[in-house]
Amino acid sequence: MSELVSAYLPELIIIVFILFNLLASLFFNTYLYKLSKWVTLLGIVFALASTFYLQIEPEAYAFDGSFLSNIYTVFFKILILISGFFLTLLSRNMIREKRDRAFEYFSVFLSGILFAMCAVSATDFVGLFVSLEALGLSCYMLLSFTKSPDAKQLTFGYLVQGAVVSSLFLAGLSVLYGMCAHVDYQQIGLYFSQNQPQILLTFCLVLMTCTILFKLGLVPFSSWLPDTFQGASYPIAAYMSCVPVLACFGVLSRMLMILLNYTFTMKIVFACIAVITILLGSLSAIRQESLKRLMAYSMSVHSGIMLLGLCVFSVYSVSGVLFYLFCYIFSNIGAWSAIILLYDSGKLENLNDLKGLIYHRPYYVIAFTVVLISLAGIAPTCGFVSKLYMASAVARSGFVFLPYLIISLLAFVIMIYAYWRIIRAMFRRIETNISIDNNVISSKFILYACAFATVGICLFSDKIIQLCQLVAYYM
Amino acid sequence: MSFLSLIWLIFLPLVIAGVIMLPVFPNHQVRVRRFAKWFAGFHFAYALLFLAFFDTSLYGMSFEKELTFFGMSWLKSLGISAKFAVDGISLLMVVLTTFVVLITLFMSKIHIRSKHKLYYAMVFLLECAILGIFCSKDMFMFFVFWELSLIPVYFLVSQWGNSEARRAAMKFTLASFVCNMFLFFGMLILYYYNFAVSNVLTANIESLNMDEKIYPLWFQVTVFVNFLIGFVIRVPFAGFHNWYPDIQNKAAAPVNILLSGMLLNTGVYGIIRFNMQVFPEIFKLFAPVLMIWSVVNIVYCGALSIVQPEVKKMVAYANVATMGFVMMGLASLNSTGFNGAVFMALAATIVYCALFVVISCVQFRTKTTYITALGGLGQVMPKCMYLSLIVCFASVGVPFLVMFAPKMMVITGALFSNLEQQLMVKLVAFIGLLAIAVSAGYIMYFFYKVFCSVLLEQWKKLKDLSPQEASVLSALCLVIIYLGVCPMSIVQIYQSVSSIILDVLQV
Repeated sequence: MSELVSAYLPELIIIVFILFNLLASLFFNTYLYKLSKWVTLLGIVFALASTFYLQIEPEAYAFDGSFLSNIYTVFFKILILISGFFLTLLSRNMIREKRDRAFEYFSVFLSGILFAMCAVSATDFVGLFVSLEALGLSCYMLLSFTKSPDAKQLTFGYLVQGAVVSSLFLAGLSVLYGMCAHVDYQQIGLYFSQNQPQILLTFCLVLMTCTILFKLGLVPFSSWLPDTFQGASYPIAAYMSCVPVLACFGVLSRMLMILLNYTFTMKIVFACIAVITILLGSLSAIRQESLKRLMAYSMSVHSGIMLLGLCVFSVYSVSGVLFYLFCYIFSNIGAWSAIILLYDSGKLENLNDLKGLIYHRPYYVIAFTVVLISLAGIAPTCGFVSKLYMASAVARSGFVFLPYLIISLLAFVIMIYAYWRIIRAMFRRIETNISIDNNVISSKFILYACAFATVGICLFSDKIIQLCQLVAYYM
Repeated sequence: MSFLSLIWLIFLPLVIAGVIMLPVFPNHQVRVRRFAKWFAGFHFAYALLFLAFFDTSLYGMSFEKELTFFGMSWLKSLGISAKFAVDGISLLMVVLTTFVVLITLFMSKIHIRSKHKLYYAMVFLLECAILGIFCSKDMFMFFVFWELSLIPVYFLVSQWGNSEARRAAMKFTLASFVCNMFLFFGMLILYYYNFAVSNVLTANIESLNMDEKIYPLWFQVTVFVNFLIGFVIRVPFAGFHNWYPDIQNKAAAPVNILLSGMLLNTGVYGIIRFNMQVFPEIFKLFAPVLMIWSVVNIVYCGALSIVQPEVKKMVAYANVATMGFVMMGLASLNSTGFNGAVFMALAATIVYCALFVVISCVQFRTKTTYITALGGLGQVMPKCMYLSLIVCFASVGVPFLVMFAPKMMVITGALFSNLEQQLMVKLVAFIGLLAIAVSAGYIMYFFYKVFCSVLLEQWKKLKDLSPQEASVLSALCLVIIYLGVCPMSIVQIYQSVSSIILDVLQV
């Protein structure tokens, strides 16, 4: 029991609150819908607090060693829970529209967070597969909360492709099991350190990473992303650009640590995927008129940059990925909160709707600009420091990856233009009569908090980088 | 001298920009403007104190300060720290920058009609970024300020320019970002190769000297070219110059003054600080190429200047052509040329700021900048005419005015340069000499067209300069005359620095 508590406490708390939400949905659905948000927030805060009681040194295991708790997993859990906290606050208008299903919504929401945390902690491929599938399932269910038939059609592609790639994962896993007779990460690593890896390993790696590339919206599987985001409600789209990304990078760096060291070709393949994603994503992003679709491509491009850092694979680059994720979460949630504020207060969702906003809401526009500048990786924000750190990790690894670095840096300028279009629209000198009556305190709070956080992290980035290096070292 | 802190000098404008943007700050245009002017005056005086207490005999950096956050340096684990220091060259640029801001704020009153808070905040943000560029001791800190300076420029041009300004601002911003990425890439590989060779993780510019360590030639050339691409867009050079006349043509008049006074200097400073100090060997290798490029710049942009239908574009092209002389002086690799080049950069800033001030006065009254629509304004605006005559003479290079000494120094430096390609060098210097005559042509053509030819009917009721405009222009003219009469007062400030740089560079 003590073993379970020392490694599994946050998940236990989340499970308790999922059950509570499910039970509550049976009894008081329509009347006390506002309560559901506070219950969920309480659960997340408890889970966050409980992460400080987890045993991380030495590593703790639960469920016969198939569930790991160390500083690396705790880092990811804290990030996932923080983003969960913000996303819960952003769901305000979503649950106002669907009062009768508010508790249901939050139980699915929390189970997504639960399985994201489990995926990072899994020590074998079976646990990983189950967690990722469950995370995927909760995403599908969240998407189905949108009512319009048009949206269902748009998100259907996600469901079908997701089913296909997860079967690919299973195929790869079975071949891997056939080779080494193990599903445990450490045992597989041990096997390959003693035996010469075969061409089959590359084959497995290709099949197994498909599902993660799919969830991150990387290149061969990026077609679902804009359509799904367009179909989804705003808080759910924000959810899908944060929680699965965190989970997938948590998984990917641990998985690649075992498998990637044995195939140099795959490193190059991953670098190519990253560069092509950045190029295609940013080229598509500059043509978008819908803010949602633009943010979908933005997620894809940022995943590409992190993948480029990851395929270099050193302690340094992993810590770069951790720091990049840390900064990305704040900038991304800030941008989404700004977009959600706009939508909630006037159904504004296109670039053209933003024209001349500076005259009506100057402070809102400035905060949004700061967050976008951070996403674009320009100087006085944390986006710049994370880009600098990531690029320096790639540059440090030797001359092989330098061409990929310069191409992706130049391609990222296109993405800067995509973000800049939003800023340009807001500062447009056109007198429009947009009426924005945004008195949603929670979304405003998140927007301003994220804008301050992006600048603050930039100033105090040294401590966070040291923390990330420590985490990467203990991985 | 503990009250002289570079941190305060650099970040005070940023704080003031924040204060102006605060919701509690009155949104009353007169109050905002007066507050901004008072602050700019104070800041200029503070910068002058640095000049007064500067020890010119000192070799190397002085006033060194590190910005720490509760005792921690910024990004210590990456070897990057927010250290600031100045030497003679950067100190002069700093003082000039604060002076340009003061002048701009005096000229802003009549031209800026909307969004006052945002305008003054952006001017101070730009000032902070430019001062940061000149004072950074750390390569990445330099880059932070380098990128930061783009954001206010975009807003200043697009928000207060004419209807086409947004497109021009966007073009400049994107082109700069592309070139910045080359710069960033060059910095990254320099940083890590230095780490691999010396095993010290640092981005301090002084410890990155490529001369002492063993670097392969191709590597040095690659990094050098990356840096050069990053800097030439700011200078700007022929081939990379397109944004500058475009942006100047479309921006509001005070923004013209600000941009011509601030942006171009940063490019020259970058070339001196990085391409000359960090890669002296490669700079020697590239000197003939840069020499030819500079003369192409002078001739090509000078020729373009003559055919422009608009006054602003004309002066902007003339400005670009003048920057060719700066590069010629740097590439001649001797102390006369180098000192002349740095002086030239400073002098060009003052002279072209003054020309843009003249243009802003004319544009405010006539609401046009087309050269065919202007003419004979000297009859109704005599004060303006006489003051701009001094400015135009200065820009041509008349003796005892500011541009004479640097032009002669640059040409002499180029003539007696010890580069191996003697024939080419002599030819280039000779073309430069001829180009001075051509530049006299286009600047005096500008003067003649605006002030001297037949007065058009619609301009007969124009008023002469207001006291404020007249005082700004006369202040500039005083600086022009003072520096023309005693040029050595400027040169001696950076002589010790230039001797260090040239020790390694001399052929």
